[in-house]
Amino acid sequence: MTGHEGKAPSAVTFHGSWTDFAKIALPNVLLTLVTLGVYRFWATTRERQYLWAQTRFIDEPLEWTGRGMELFIGFIMVFFLLGLPLIVMQLVINGLVFQGQPIIAGVIIFAMFLAIFYLTGLAYFRALRYRLSRTYWRGIRGGSDDQGFTYGWSYIWKNVVAAISLYLLYPWASMSLWNERWSKMSFGPYQFESNADWKALMKRYLLFYLVPFLIFVGAVALGIAAASSGEGGDPFSTAGGVAGAVAIFIGILGLYIVMPLAALLYYSKFMRVAIGALRLGDLEFDFTARSPDWILFWLANLAILMIAYGFAFAPFSLLIATDPTQFVQQMEAGESILSVGLVIGVLIAIIPIAFATSIIRYRSWKFFVVHTEAFGEVNLDRMTQSTTDSSSHGEGLLDAFDVGAI
Amino acid sequence: MTTFFDAWHFDGQSAVRRKVEIQAIGRQFYLLEPELRHGPFHFDELRFLEAKGDARVYGLAGKDGWRLGVRGHVPEDLAPLLPASKTYGGLIDRLGLGKASLVFAGISAAVVAVVLLSPQWLAPLIPSSVEAKLGNALVGDFGGRFCDTPQGKAALAKLTRSLDDNPKDLQVEIANIDMLNAVALPGGKVLLFQGLLDQAKSPDEVAGVLAHEIGHVRERHVMQGLLRQMGLAVVLGGFDGSGGSTLNSLLSTTYTRDSEREADDHSLKALKQANISPVGTADFFNRLASMDGSRDLKDRQARTMASYTSSHPLSDERRKLFEKAVVKGSAYKPALTSNEWRELKTMCAQDKDVKSGWGFDIE
Repeated sequence: MTGHEGKAPSAVTFHGSWTDFAKIALPNVLLTLVTLGVYRFWATTRERQYLWAQTRFIDEPLEWTGRGMELFIGFIMVFFLLGLPLIVMQLVINGLVFQGQPIIAGVIIFAMFLAIFYLTGLAYFRALRYRLSRTYWRGIRGGSDDQGFTYGWSYIWKNVVAAISLYLLYPWASMSLWNERWSKMSFGPYQFESNADWKALMKRYLLFYLVPFLIFVGAVALGIAAASSGEGGDPFSTAGGVAGAVAIFIGILGLYIVMPLAALLYYSKFMRVAIGALRLGDLEFDFTARSPDWILFWLANLAILMIAYGFAFAPFSLLIATDPTQFVQQMEAGESILSVGLVIGVLIAIIPIAFATSIIRYRSWKFFVVHTEAFGEVNLDRMTQSTTDSSSHGEGLLDAFDVGAI
Repeated sequence: MTTFFDAWHFDGQSAVRRKVEIQAIGRQFYLLEPELRHGPFHFDELRFLEAKGDARVYGLAGKDGWRLGVRGHVPEDLAPLLPASKTYGGLIDRLGLGKASLVFAGISAAVVAVVLLSPQWLAPLIPSSVEAKLGNALVGDFGGRFCDTPQGKAALAKLTRSLDDNPKDLQVEIANIDMLNAVALPGGKVLLFQGLLDQAKSPDEVAGVLAHEIGHVRERHVMQGLLRQMGLAVVLGGFDGSGGSTLNSLLSTTYTRDSEREADDHSLKALKQANISPVGTADFFNRLASMDGSRDLKDRQARTMASYTSSHPLSDERRKLFEKAVVKGSAYKPALTSNEWRELKTMCAQDKDVKSGWGFDIE
């Protein structure tokens, strides 16, 4: 998967190995566990340092200069400026509802919803800006002079338009937000340009959009067939019953397999169109991952997670299997079931899952890098230092809303 | 310069890579190119950034993008002047991964212990006026959903009096909401929902449930639980994803289960003192058990798992507890006369201006 199969060597290459990465990921998991999660900001930083350093653009590796402390400060800021007020507002709303003021409570809920919506957009913007400002190549970094406040409003109104159109215009909303976001970013002296065309996404999107209807129609047709051929009696012993069962089966198949697949087809197209439209100075980019690549990528991720969950639940089964009667007795006597073993069991269960998710982050980065191509020329003399501000407080907002940067 | 040693430099102004030699003069140094000299720079301002194979990269304090990279065997006169490599940075490098982990684990365990145990001491320190204000802020008059008729209120007051020696600092109300539940809130507020009264077969059942909620108030569980929940949310908030919330619910439900046990004990004592039969309460839990399915959990393992996840002890266990407390041949008296019981049950229906439901419906 290094992309050297006879073609011209790619300008963007990845040189890491997952065993080297594991030497970073495992101590990260250990330290995160013993600090009750506080270390995860430093863990993220160490992961990124490795991933960036293993990624070469033309001849030089990238460098991640973000620090754990700034992510931590960002998290603390969001906790006090956003988390605590939200908890307080929740109590106030409860009180208002109980005191018979549902209208005021409704207004407050709507205002909070709007604020969170705005901040989510802002968070996407700020996270991208933060990541670019901490990414160096040959001593030059990226960034943005924009604070992202107008982007927050765009995020609201474009999503509202998408919703009004029953999400038919969702590709337009997400693509124009992508363009808007990237057009405000820069690297060195160059501004990113992005003018991806959302209409190229519509065929794939309509496929995704219509799948539920098609499944529904199919299920109904089969259901009707079932009703007409079933001649009373036990419905599941007749041919009609079989058709009914098939209809249910197709419904489940659609829900859990066809829908995610259709979503992946759309997402694959989105990334190709979006990155393909990106320019930086004389550089053009391309993203070569096609749907089968994405499907394999996700299937492998899924398998890794399943294995991790298997390992996570093993200690529990052992714990209960070793002495089930003792637990039941304790419980029947109404005694505390909080045992050291149980807490350690949960803590140990976190290890494989946390490790698996960091391996998945490694795979995602590798997937992204391996499929990214760049064309054009870089004039090293003209590639001068970025003059953008670099904010000092990480991606706390993004963290709070649990959203990704790209 | 000795055998294999290579140094390169980015000045942070342009992306041009410069092959340089390091010329050290005391605590200062120059970077030499064939026709260009950069510097002077101070060794003290060098910052270690990263190591890759046998290469190390340094930055310079206050100079954005300035980089000095060295690869290979650093000359002996230069080596002590360069900052030391870091793996984790700070404390962890100094202690070593193993020792640092133990230190962190110790601190974490202490913090969790404080959060779990301190509410027991902290809750009684909160002045009752503050608690009462909190209770009012949370519930107020419940949006006019408290039922009120003189006879019904009198019956409720009698029931409360029989179960508690000091009913003055309790505020027991019937809320006109069709829900099979009862709650104890900060400030000695106890709410019984109308749904509970509707399905109750005798006043003895309601007495048992009310005594249980009074138990929560008397044992100061309400503020304890609130403090503990807040503390755990803060302490475990650092965990990503579901790990923290799983630990949180595991730790807190164990405490709520203990609280429920204490409240049940309190209820049994109060019933005994009032000479009310626990049979009614046992019946109540029996019906609850058939609803929550715990009576049918024959498989022991399934039972154990269910008990981990629920905040209350299993209804079936509680039924047994109350059944066991019945003293055969004892001359129990009913909690209320049949007249009082009728007035209490129908209080909400009789109250003309009480609001109903959750208030989201348009009246």
